Amino acid sequence: MALVVAEHLGKQYGAKVAVTDLSFTVRPGTVTGFLGPNGSGKSTTMRLMLGLDRGEGRTTFDGRPFTELRQPLREVGALLEANPFHPTRRARSHLRMLAAANRIPASRVDEVLEIVGLTSVARGRPRKFSLGMGQRLGLAAALLGDPHTLILDEPSNGLDPQGITWLRGLLRSLASEGRAVFVSSHLLQEMAVLADHLVVVGRGRMIANGAVADFTRGSARNHVLVTTPDMSQLGPVLASLGGHAQQSSDGTWAVRGLTSAQVGDAARDAAARVHQLVDVEATLEEAFLDATGADEEFRGHLR
Amino acid sequence: MRDALVYEWYRVTSIRSTYWLVGLTWLFTLAVSAVVAWQLPESGPLAGGREPLSLLVTFGASTGIPPLFTAYMVGIVGVFAMGHEYRHGMVRATLTSVRGRHRVLLAKLAVVALVAVLTTLGCAVISVVVGLSFGVDLPIDGFLWGLVLALVIYTVLFSWAGVAFAAIVRNQTAAVAMLVLIPTLVEQIVRAVVLAIKAASGDPQGQGGITVILRYLPFDAGGQMYTRTSINQLFQFLGYRPFGPVGGGIVFAVFVALLLALAAWLFSRRDA
Repeated sequence: MALVVAEHLGKQYGAKVAVTDLSFTVRPGTVTGFLGPNGSGKSTTMRLMLGLDRGEGRTTFDGRPFTELRQPLREVGALLEANPFHPTRRARSHLRMLAAANRIPASRVDEVLEIVGLTSVARGRPRKFSLGMGQRLGLAAALLGDPHTLILDEPSNGLDPQGITWLRGLLRSLASEGRAVFVSSHLLQEMAVLADHLVVVGRGRMIANGAVADFTRGSARNHVLVTTPDMSQLGPVLASLGGHAQQSSDGTWAVRGLTSAQVGDAARDAAARVHQLVDVEATLEEAFLDATGADEEFRGHLR
Repeated sequence: MRDALVYEWYRVTSIRSTYWLVGLTWLFTLAVSAVVAWQLPESGPLAGGREPLSLLVTFGASTGIPPLFTAYMVGIVGVFAMGHEYRHGMVRATLTSVRGRHRVLLAKLAVVALVAVLTTLGCAVISVVVGLSFGVDLPIDGFLWGLVLALVIYTVLFSWAGVAFAAIVRNQTAAVAMLVLIPTLVEQIVRAVVLAIKAASGDPQGQGGITVILRYLPFDAGGQMYTRTSINQLFQFLGYRPFGPVGGGIVFAVFVALLLALAAWLFSRRDA
């Protein structure tokens, strides 16, 4: 079991800051999701962690930087981009090549091909593979050394819904075996059911770092939904307690800054009738959009 | 280092281009040797001895006119050794599988050198056997061993230049173009310009002067290792005196060493 510690990671491309002062921890036995809008520095961060990009900061895997690992695949498995293989080298040969550099037996190549479901095309050439098959081959490479840590950049890219479900089960299973899994994705619903912890970045800066529940709980989109015909009485009481009520188009009120219990007590004190009182917790997507709204690198516009 | 070497050996032997390039080189050697041996006269200076031996083993490159075919083919293997890393996005997979960038580069140089040695020796064996089978009187002696050694050294250095070009420009197509065009075009243009300047000077037949530059054209200098009867001798009246095999070899080796030093420096500093 390995603890991954990233400290003060930073990277600049000329005058453009890609990543700045990112520090976080990936714990064994957990899936840590890495979220951020396009261009927020996720891939750069992963490359910095693995010593592939030159930048600031340091990442250790059980106390050692990646570049000091004697047989890297046996300790850290990485999938950094789609289709990182020669198009005419057979899938099995590709994995055997990687295995040979880490003294991994050929039998393990067949095992990982079986795990990712590519046994039937083991002798196939990747140029004929779909994007999803390429991702599976990349995952097979990451799993080759039975590593204690996995660093996966958008591993679900190109996978069909069945593949995404399979991947989710695989990553959860690997984490349950005590491995540290660090995975970036832009599929927020997927991350909501997969990740235990989140590292959220925007424009290369840390936005949030902690448990998924804490991240959603801290969202400004959390509110108490109130249906009342007596807001004229209830409103001032809520305001005196620090709450802020905003009316929706359907006539209901969204109260922020107070818990449902506080709103209920306030209603009693104000002798206001309450027809509905519901805690509405932000989804991960809402919390993410809330947290990263100003940090989107590339923004489209509706015509 | 062993792991890096094993990785690179798997890499080079698990893609078809390696077999195509080496196979075509040997096939070309077979065909050209057969044509040359068939066309050699039955009497006169080319009927046997060192001249036809040089012609056969170097495909005529010993005359200083055509480039050394084997070196170019193996040079492409050298370009691919590094070029595939960038063209197919393999570099990150490589560097997350093999520890140490310098080990990766050294392993590539070692394996490419091995391919160069095996290919060149294969070519030499093919050409000599074909020559003998056509009844050409070829001396199997120290002259042959010296020539083969020169070819091996030149081809290894040439293929390493291919690795270096690909590492420096990180573009396979550009690296192939550089490897082919610098010796066959750029150096020839420089030579033509320098000789023209010398011919137009007040002392066209004087020693030294601007023609000294020509001694240091790296690929041309390296070619002196296997050149036996060179067309360069025609230009000696303009004061152009190329290095001998050892001097030329040293110039070429220094050039390749500088290229590799730059490549290693860039490879270790750049983002993968």
